[in-house]
Amino acid sequence: MPLKPLKLLVIAGRRGRVTVKYPYKEPIVTPEFRGEVEIDPAKCIGCGACVKACPPNALEIVESEREIILRYFVGRCIFCWRCVDVCPVGAIKGTRNFELATDKYTDLYTLVAHSRVTCEACGKPVETTRMRRYVVEKVQVAEEYVYLCPDCRRRVFAERVSARRVGSSELEEQ
Amino acid sequence: MKRSIWVFHLNTGSCNACDIEVLDVLTPFHDAERFGVKLVTSPRHADAILLTGPVTAESLPKVINAIEAVPRPRIIIALGSCGCGGGIWHDTYSTIGGVNKLLEILKERGIVVDAVYYVPGCPIRPEALLYAVASIKGIVSKKREMKIYKAE
Repeated sequence: MPLKPLKLLVIAGRRGRVTVKYPYKEPIVTPEFRGEVEIDPAKCIGCGACVKACPPNALEIVESEREIILRYFVGRCIFCWRCVDVCPVGAIKGTRNFELATDKYTDLYTLVAHSRVTCEACGKPVETTRMRRYVVEKVQVAEEYVYLCPDCRRRVFAERVSARRVGSSELEEQ
Repeated sequence: MKRSIWVFHLNTGSCNACDIEVLDVLTPFHDAERFGVKLVTSPRHADAILLTGPVTAESLPKVINAIEAVPRPRIIIALGSCGCGGGIWHDTYSTIGGVNKLLEILKERGIVVDAVYYVPGCPIRPEALLYAVASIKGIVSKKREMKIYKAE
């Protein structure tokens, strides 16, 4: 049965105003809400773990001769925070910020540029400077393999193994 | 833009999450009509298009027709991560991947779009859409900017 107008007015008056005054007042955001992620450039090592974990490829690695750029495009981000979970150094932090509306496409990007180190054998650019330092600190038994690119690493390792197999005398003859 | 923004809600193959949030914005709790936002049933009456979804290949001709019918100045408000950049469908075979590819196609056909607003979120919060509307009206200032960091 529909309410009569007078009765409706009484109920509405008792209930008061429900509309939130959002743009003029703070929004109601729960602590569990997931918003945009923030990359800390002081901690990021440019390893690309977040890029592998990102379902919509919002985080991408862009490689050039000189540097490796971690590109975060918030316009494609689905705010799953997988990158926050997988980051080995804790450089990615989740925020509750959702006020991202903009009229310029480029505003949606966050870029973190890393310099690259080169392979000591062939001079090809490999991983980022910080990534190499991180590996050297973590793995102390890696010897000089850590300063090589993957191709040279394989070649040098095969040379050493074959030298052990056939003995050093044959190599000296060559 | 000082006038009331009348919007036409255009679903281009979205999962309906953003569409439900659009309905949420029009309820008395958030009440977008404070800013003069009103849903209209025809693009010919609209000032802006609320575009949700990654623009599937099937919906593309209809989307172009709808946008062409909007009188100038046209505004497109791309909602959600699908609308802004294609979302998780950005490289699939059946979608064209967000509003930017759509703008290229519109440019080829000579259809001018005066402004595009991007509202990321998956799905968008109702407040995020209110924020976008408020920034179109000039009530709030833009917070997000392109950030470029140099790490060693």
